[in-house]
Amino acid sequence: MSLLSVSNLHASVVTDEGPQPILKGLTLQVNPGEVHAIMGPNGSGKSTLANVLSGRPGYTVDGGTAVLGNDPLLELEPFERAQLGLFLAFQYPVEIPGVSNMEFLKASMDSLARARGEEQPNTATFMKRVRELASSLDLDPAFLKRGVNEGFSGGEKKRNEIMQLLLLDPKLAVLDETDSGLDIDALQTVAEGVNRYRSSDNGVILITHYQRLLDYIVPDFVHVLSNGSIVQSGDKSLALELEAKGYAWLT
Amino acid sequence: MADLSLPKTIDAPIWLEGETADQISDRLHQALNSSAHRERWKYTKADGILANVAAPSIAPFLDGTEQAGLEITLGQLDHALPGIDFQQGPEASARLCYADQAVIIDVTQHAPEPLRIHHRDSTLPVIVRLAANSSLTMLEIADSSDAMQQSIWIDLGENARLHHSRNALDPCENHWQYLNVRLQQGANYRLNNHVAGSKLRRQDIHLVLDGQGSEATLVSAGRVRRKDALDQQVTVEHRQPRGSSKQTVHNIVADGGKCTFNGRIHIHEGASGTDAQLSNKNLGMGDHATINTKPELEIYTDDVSCSHGATVGTISQEALFYLMSRGVSPDTAEALLSQGFLRQCIDGPLAEEALQSLIGKAVAS
Repeated sequence: MSLLSVSNLHASVVTDEGPQPILKGLTLQVNPGEVHAIMGPNGSGKSTLANVLSGRPGYTVDGGTAVLGNDPLLELEPFERAQLGLFLAFQYPVEIPGVSNMEFLKASMDSLARARGEEQPNTATFMKRVRELASSLDLDPAFLKRGVNEGFSGGEKKRNEIMQLLLLDPKLAVLDETDSGLDIDALQTVAEGVNRYRSSDNGVILITHYQRLLDYIVPDFVHVLSNGSIVQSGDKSLALELEAKGYAWLT
Repeated sequence: MADLSLPKTIDAPIWLEGETADQISDRLHQALNSSAHRERWKYTKADGILANVAAPSIAPFLDGTEQAGLEITLGQLDHALPGIDFQQGPEASARLCYADQAVIIDVTQHAPEPLRIHHRDSTLPVIVRLAANSSLTMLEIADSSDAMQQSIWIDLGENARLHHSRNALDPCENHWQYLNVRLQQGANYRLNNHVAGSKLRRQDIHLVLDGQGSEATLVSAGRVRRKDALDQQVTVEHRQPRGSSKQTVHNIVADGGKCTFNGRIHIHEGASGTDAQLSNKNLGMGDHATINTKPELEIYTDDVSCSHGATVGTISQEALFYLMSRGVSPDTAEALLSQGFLRQCIDGPLAEEALQSLIGKAVAS
């Protein structure tokens, strides 16, 4: 059974001038253990795919389906999708002053555990785990007491996203341009985190502009998104070809 | 609107020697009814508070009085307070005129232990005088009551430091707190104010930076729910060069609550190099919250740095989505975000009690 099955997905972004169609019949299947890279020019719909899958307000689904395991996603609230095992690593993680990272992570862990009928982790074990993960991603554990992403550099925010990925251990991770704004060291740290997360049970959708990230997170499939649908799929060699030739020959 | 008036005639207090009772009454009457002052009563009825300014008062309960550096007397004021300003605080000035006694706290050096002032009712005016280079931590707590008033006048000598924490969290029919602080050269004053709305609760705060290089900080967190009301009137005056003041006031107003904030910064001629900042943020939740906020600037000198801002908003949809994308339900996410909003302004020695009362049990602890 596939982990994620997206079929003929049509979606619009809500603008002042009315709905603007972005996704125009996107079909994608992710099986357990697979990493799918999605590349494409600006405006092709990469981030819209991530946002529509996660349920971000401001988008409307005009047709098609997206099923995670056995559960249709598109009718669900964002928190219900997360409880089913969907995770979105944000392109622009949000700063929340006054809510500490630790409190945020605990609320998240507790919600997921409750939804799945599992026991909520005890605080000491939880804190130990979070500290270990933080230091494995070169995040100073002192950040846990600070507000969520408050005053973080771009790189720290992205590493925080990956820390949450490892902590929450979802079934499917959608990484929306997690490589943007990272220097090479941070990129390696982030990639190492994603590789640590990968297993034969879960899946990754990697949205990126650049081939560079794929040197560190080797995808099983590379798809080119153009004008709202996938126009070309291949293995990692497709990414190298795109790097050499650009997108023009495909679109 | 009818004129605002005092509840009974005033006897000329000895500390205002040279003026007759009639002259003082006239001045107070004029100050009360000046258009600038009437504006301060635009959203709250003055009558109930004015009617009580002459009501009998008791001394507040004090704790931490037995320590080096503190001298406490209960007696008559023998000379005028340097910070007194009929124009700015006519109600509090009248209250001082009516009071036959005041609690006078003299701080002569560094007081190692906090001084606790506990109001269980209307209390006598409290005068706190810090000598040069002295310092004090002062905790002030107001209990619930039907109607009560407190007024505190603070004078900080050169390089004196006062950390003032205040909690007004319990319900009250009609509660008014007046606070006047004068800072001399190099003095430092910090107020952590935690307040809950009540049937009627009004806080007047008047900070006067009256010496070069003095520094005042006001951090306040408030929560107003149901049919409750809170009215905060803050005036910061910079009278001398190179003073700095910073006000950060966060209020949550929910479900029919009504909140008024008026923050005025007045930079006098000659107060060059002043740095004055004011930020008032209001978070409206539920149905029918009423929020009035008005930052005011009056600047009569060049070479100042001054910023002020007031916002009225609801929970950030971006932040809400971020939490929900991690599996947190909308109710829990909203609770976390509103708690976070207030927690940014809850600090100091009375923070724990304030967190407990204003935020309750943390969603995730």
